[in-house]
Amino acid sequence: MFGLIGHLTSLEHAQSVARELGYPEYADQGLDFWCSAPPQIVDNITVTSVTGQKIEGRYVESCFLPEMLATRRIKAATRKVINAMAHAQKHGIDITALGGFSSIIFENFNLQQIRQVRNVMLEFDRFTTGNTHTAYIICRQVEQASEQLGINLSEATVAVCGATGDIGSAVCRWLDARTDVAELLLIARNQERLQELQNELGRGKIVGLEEALPQADIIVWVASMPKGVEIDPTALKQPCLLVDGGYPKNLGTKVQHPGVTVLNGGIVEHSLDIDWRIMSIVNMDVPARQLFACFAESMLLEFEKWHTNFSWGRNRITIEKMEQIGSASVKHGFRPLLI
Amino acid sequence: MPQLEATPEIDFHSESYKDAYSRINAIVIEGEQEAHENYQRLADLLPTDKDQLFGLAKMESRHKKGFEACGRNLKVTPDLEFARQFFLQLHENFQVAAAQNKIVTCLLIQSLIIECFAISAYNIYIPVADDFARKITEGVVKDEYAHLNYGEEWLKANFDTSKAELEEANKQNLPIVWKMLNQVDADAKVLGMEREALVEDFMIQYGEALSNIGFTTRDIMKMSAYGLAAV
Repeated sequence: MFGLIGHLTSLEHAQSVARELGYPEYADQGLDFWCSAPPQIVDNITVTSVTGQKIEGRYVESCFLPEMLATRRIKAATRKVINAMAHAQKHGIDITALGGFSSIIFENFNLQQIRQVRNVMLEFDRFTTGNTHTAYIICRQVEQASEQLGINLSEATVAVCGATGDIGSAVCRWLDARTDVAELLLIARNQERLQELQNELGRGKIVGLEEALPQADIIVWVASMPKGVEIDPTALKQPCLLVDGGYPKNLGTKVQHPGVTVLNGGIVEHSLDIDWRIMSIVNMDVPARQLFACFAESMLLEFEKWHTNFSWGRNRITIEKMEQIGSASVKHGFRPLLI
Repeated sequence: MPQLEATPEIDFHSESYKDAYSRINAIVIEGEQEAHENYQRLADLLPTDKDQLFGLAKMESRHKKGFEACGRNLKVTPDLEFARQFFLQLHENFQVAAAQNKIVTCLLIQSLIIECFAISAYNIYIPVADDFARKITEGVVKDEYAHLNYGEEWLKANFDTSKAELEEANKQNLPIVWKMLNQVDADAKVLGMEREALVEDFMIQYGEALSNIGFTTRDIMKMSAYGLAAV
């Protein structure tokens, strides 16, 4: 059985979903209540691969809300993630993806230190961040969407914003080894990590965001931050492909300019048969035939019976693992979202 | 991304800590004493389980002694009068239900609500406890899971006939728990225990118990949050 740990995108969203699902006890409550709310399994999911194989899953609502980060209720935020993980494990879920902010919170606040949750000893090999599949899908989006736009990778400059992150560094590795991208621009806050990445790749220019953006034919945005960054679209090249692989996705609404194409990164389209009620309600960003690649990773691990923390820790994603999850992705009917 | 703030060191021997501890420690002692009496009363109502229930009652007595030692260790005199007032309403509801032979209500009050409350409070307390109290509490919390399990098993076996009474008893008694929690909010904070973490752990534990008994997720979400909004 696979699992997905999800959360809603804002307090307002949470209240409306609770109302729609018929939980007035939750619908009328403010942030304080959500800070105390326990995780719940709110949906059973059946997924049928294009191969005909069928698997069962559970959707775990962690009751985390992004407002908890914004208002510095960090302890509440970390409790939500840990408690949702314990809940998934207690319910016998073999492999669970940490969706949305869950994996970011887990990494950022070093929650691997917390093993014992009440009477549950967390087994981390039952969880995956889903980042390997996300990174793979973003790379395929860069390759295929650039072609759609007539951008030739062998002449293109690709700027990776958030290059030293788990997904960002994997994207850099892939673009370096599997494509003939002309130039890589590496953008991140931590200079030391940038230097390490540059050494590892043996290429790539370390530049500031402001300097990088006007040079880039393709921008891969994989920085995760609660607040968005203003990008002036008039300063960008035209055409320019902007792959928004960060969480939450907010570049599309901010960057609107002819000649600049914004693509939601890390999203797969699928022709699988997924029977779930919850997605239509909770996932406003993504229409019915689309899915976050990180969620899809737990499905793939279940299909292939790779019950292991396939994506875990920081900067451990190899090209081989991206290829491995990529071939499972293709086999079961997932495709990168294109323009 | 904001950073996690370091937890301030707790001075277990400060006057403010000992003052708060005099009430929290008393609540725990009184809670174990009442649990002891409640299981003995339940043994009258459930004669076939008499031996088991007497066994549970005996464990609660032992817990009480452990917590008395925790108070002595910090040279704190527990405010037992405060604790008796604290439990008064739940205590009375249990007595009334027992007098009417309402086993389901009695089990909900003692084996579900009080045990879940104890388990969650002990679990939240353990990481911020002094070394002596931590060891005692770790031992106690293991036992309390067994007590919770007794109530769960009985109610699960009798779920169909108990469901309506459980829902009614939940409505009657859960709001009392939220009020009790508010009463000790400030003292618990001095001990390093946060109200929202306590509420969350209680709802997790209580929700799990209700799920084991046979309630659906929908029932659980309604029942475990009942009355929380009003306090």
